Order: sequence, then structure tokens, then C-alpha cells
Amino acid sequence: MTFARLNSLVREGKLGFWVAVGGLATFTLLLAPFMPGRVNTTTAALALLLLVLLIATRWGSRPAVVASVAAVLYFNYFFLPPVGTFTIADPENWVALFAFLVTALVVGQLSARAKQRAEEAEAGRREIERLYRESQEVFERASQAEALRRSEQLKSALLDAVTHDLRTPLTAIKASATTLLEELRADGEGAFRLSLEDRREMLEVIDEETDRLNGFIGSMVELARLEAGAFILPRRWGDVEEIVAAALQRAERVTQAHRLEVALPPELPLVRADERALAEVVYTLVDNACKYAPAGSRVRISGSVLAVAEQIQVTVEDEGPGIPPELRDKVFDRFFRATPEAKKLRRSGSGLGLAIARGIVEAHGGRIWLEPGAHGRGTRVHFTVPFGADDEVAETGAQ
Amino acid sequence: MNERKRILVVDDEPQITRVLRRSLQTHGYDVRTAADGEAALDVVHDWPPDLVVTDLTMPGMDGIELCRQLRAQTSLPIIILSVKGEEQTKVRALDAGADDYVTKPFGIDELLARIRAALRRAPATLPEAASQLTAGDFCLDQTAHLISLRGSELHLTPKEFELLAHLLQHAGKVLTHRALLAAVWGGDYTEQTEYLRVFVGQLRKKIEADPANPRYILTEPWVGYRFNAEG
Repeated sequence: MTFARLNSLVREGKLGFWVAVGGLATFTLLLAPFMPGRVNTTTAALALLLLVLLIATRWGSRPAVVASVAAVLYFNYFFLPPVGTFTIADPENWVALFAFLVTALVVGQLSARAKQRAEEAEAGRREIERLYRESQEVFERASQAEALRRSEQLKSALLDAVTHDLRTPLTAIKASATTLLEELRADGEGAFRLSLEDRREMLEVIDEETDRLNGFIGSMVELARLEAGAFILPRRWGDVEEIVAAALQRAERVTQAHRLEVALPPELPLVRADERALAEVVYTLVDNACKYAPAGSRVRISGSVLAVAEQIQVTVEDEGPGIPPELRDKVFDRFFRATPEAKKLRRSGSGLGLAIARGIVEAHGGRIWLEPGAHGRGTRVHFTVPFGADDEVAETGAQ
Repeated sequence: MNERKRILVVDDEPQITRVLRRSLQTHGYDVRTAADGEAALDVVHDWPPDLVVTDLTMPGMDGIELCRQLRAQTSLPIIILSVKGEEQTKVRALDAGADDYVTKPFGIDELLARIRAALRRAPATLPEAASQLTAGDFCLDQTAHLISLRGSELHLTPKEFELLAHLLQHAGKVLTHRALLAAVWGGDYTEQTEYLRVFVGQLRKKIEADPANPRYILTEPWVGYRFNAEG
């Protein structure tokens, strides 16, 4: 039998039948010369049964049937006396032959079935794996599409906010500058004359709005760095009291019209933090509180230790108009002010302060959130910072 | 001078109202400011202005609603200040009754020119029912169904006549596609801007010296048309 022929047999699934007939015959011929001396009838029967079993396991039920029949014939011819004939002298041997046939068939069918079960189970496993892989791919594609869609949404909202925040100061600057220029051009033509005070105010507006633009651009850059994760926070052991004091010193100008109250418990543990960045967070919260709460009202900064969570919580509370529940999470979005309802809450500023604050707090592994003040009036903003540990490697950036 | 025109500036950005107040005052206008729509309506009630300049996006009542409310009670000219990118909002404000718009950031001379133009046509818009109207180079006779350009009669189809008559009656004002379609073709046709394009093209051939560079019917990109009767 050539290799090619063998291959085609394997392909057609007929090899099992050839082995059943040919393999058993070869085996029988090898075993027969030792009869009746060194091999007895029982040994031959068991050896043949073993072969049937192997064929059934390897090639399945139909070759097993053929093998069983072939084994009965060979057994009868070569091993049952009188050897060399199909006749059976002893009636007891009829029983033996019948028993052999039934055993061969049953063994063949059982092992063939076991093999089939195993194959089915294997196919099932492969199918489950395939389905899992596919669903995984589908899920990945879907979440990529969702992420893309959200990032597109974010981009366009951000673009709106940037457009507004850049164009508004530009409008004031352009209107002032063109008024001043026009006066220069119309010089000497009586009617149009700016007073010294007018001129000063125009120049003041240009000056202030340039600062506002500059501040806005600075905030954008800082936020972009925080979000890109490129903002490595240099952490040291810092004192919350010092952090708050630094923030309040910076906020001195904006807090003048409000009653400031600081209530930090004594002996606050130190925190592993970027003090400058955390002072920025406190400043932003105090600045917001003073912007939205009426002059003369109270702005309270308090702190507490969350011993179990190993965190410090800082709270800034105002007596302003409060923030509607549906906006409480949105205020931390950098494009928050792009929505019309947001403008209701806004007086001035870049609109990025809280987004940056969240970026900083999250980069520290803390959390920032907002809730109504006592008796549902005003606003309380809380943030937490974990104590941290000495060996901790500074994390880079927010989520 | 008792002739000083009164202008109400509505914007929620204090820096903008601050500059505009100064600038418009030095140009001889009486100026009041308001930070949102509600405040503006209060001012209009106590101190009736000759013209309103308003921002579009404002807290509370926005510019569009303000236009609508003002239009319901008066025909005083309204100029809106819009930011590029707010085209849709701008069109809605014009449809709600605004007369003109200036895009932020603007030079003060541009705003002043728009204010002067709006104030000039303000009295003319009132007697809209008048059967005869002369505006710039054009003369409209509603009863005779005639329009003449520098004395010579124009030969117009009925729709062309209606369109040109409407443009003439609102000379200087920005008219949105939607507003023109509704006025000339009726409310069912407000999306059929291609009709308008065809008829404007035909009118331009009949009245413009150079239809490719129109001087009378000016295109306001993405918004509509503005009729300039002086050419």
C-alpha cells in the first residue's frame, strides 16, 4: 500500500476497516504458530478483544463491528479446536465463541461511543471558546466605537466651550481697541471724543481680558497635561493646615467680602501629597464659593480624619444658591459651561477650575464630590486624600 | 440734545456691556445695559429704547426668547451678537424677529454701521400697509402691482413681484430663507430653499447691473438675504 493510497484511505475514513480486517489478520498470524503450546485459547481471545477495543477507540463504531466479526472468524479458525477449520467440535466452545462475539461487539460499541462522546465534548468546548472569542471581539469593537463616539462628543462640546471662552474676551478686547483706534482716526472731527476716563476704562478692559485669556490658556494646558497623565505629582509629606493656609493667602482678594471660617481639627495626620496642587484645589473651591455666594455670607473650610479609610477629608461650604441635583456631577466636567443651564451658575472664570481640581484629587487617589449644605441651602464640596505611605511611587495623572 | 437715540445692550458678560456702554455713549447714544432677557424686558418697559443689541446665549431668558417677546409687543429694531458656530441659533433669532446680526468679535465701526442702518429704517417699517413705498432706487406701488427701478418699470412675474416687494418692505433687514419662503410662498414651503434660489437668481438678472456681483439683493451666507435699496 503506497503512502498516497494510505492518505486517501485516511481521508475517506476507510483506514479503520482495513486495520480491522488486515491488522487483526496480521496479529492472528503472528500469534497462531505459538498455539497450542505457549499461547492458550483464553490469551488469544483476550488479545483479540484488546485489538477490537483499540480499533473502536481509534476509528469508531462501524470498523469496530467489522473488527468484532473478523476477530470471531479468526478466533474460530486459528484458535478454537479443531484448529485450521471453521468447525467447532466441543459444544462448550460454541458458548465461548458466542460469548467472545458478544463481548467483542459490546466492547467495540462502548469504546466507540466513549470516543464519540469525547469528541462531542471537545467540539462543544471549541465552540464555546470560539463563541467567547467572538463575543469578546464584538464587545471590544463596540466599546471602541462607544469610546470614539464619546470622545467625539467631548471634543465638540469642548470646542464649543473653548470657542465661547476665547471669543468672549476677544470681543471685549476688539471692541475696546477699535473704539480707541477710531478715535485716533477721527481726531479733530469734534463730535466723537473719548474722555480720559473712557480711555482708561477701555485700556483696563483690554488689560483684564488679556489676563483672562492667558489664565484660560494656562488652565487648558494644565488640564490637558493632567488628562494625558503626563503630570507627575511630586509628593512629599505635607501638612493640611499649611496647604489650606497657602490657598487662603492666595485667595485673600476674592474672600474679602465673605466671612471666612476655618475649622481644622488639631493634630491632623500628614498626607503624602503634592502640596502646591492640593492648595490649588482648595483655592478653586474657596474662589467658587465666594463667586456664587452673596457678599457677607459665610464660607467655611473644615477637615476631618477618616481613620478606617486612612484618608483626610476637606470640605468647603458656602451659603450660595446651591446647585441643582442634576448638575452636581456635571460641574466637574471641563465642558460643563458649554451647556446653557451652566451659565446660570457662572459669573466669571475659566470654567475649568473644578475639572482641574478633580484631576488633581484623582491623581492623588482621592475623590471629590458635591452635596447641598445644611438645611438644603448652599453647597458643600468635599474631597478626600489618602494619607499615603513613604515607599509609594508617585502616580502619574488622573484616570 | 434731546434727540439722542436710546440703545439697550443685553449681554451677560459684564466686560462687553462695559465697553459697549462707553463706546456707544461717546458716539452720542443713550445706553442702558441688562444681563439677561428678563432684565431687558424690565428696562424696555421703564425706558423704551430705539434699538436693542442683544447677545444670544444668556442665563435665564436667552436672546431668542427675548426677540420673540419684544416682537410680540413692539417693532423696534433688534441686532443680535452671535459667535461664529452659532449659525443655527442665529437663524432662529432672526426668525424670531431680530433684524440683523454682528458676529463676535467685531470692530466697533461695524456695530455702529449696523446700528445706524437699523435706526434709519426703523420708522419706514412701521406703515407696512402703505400702498406706495419708495426706498433707494426702487418705487413700489402695491395697488398697481408695479415696481420701478430708477424710474423704469420692471417686468416681473407675480412671484417675482411678491418676493421683490417683500424685500423692499424690509430693506436693510436680514431675512432668513425660512422667513422669505413663508412670506412669499406660504408656511408649507419653508424648507424649499431651492425655489428661493431660483427666484432670487431671476430677480438679480432683472435688476442687477452685474448679477454675479449683486448690489441690491445681498446674500447672507447660510442665513438668507438682505436687500440694499441704495445699491
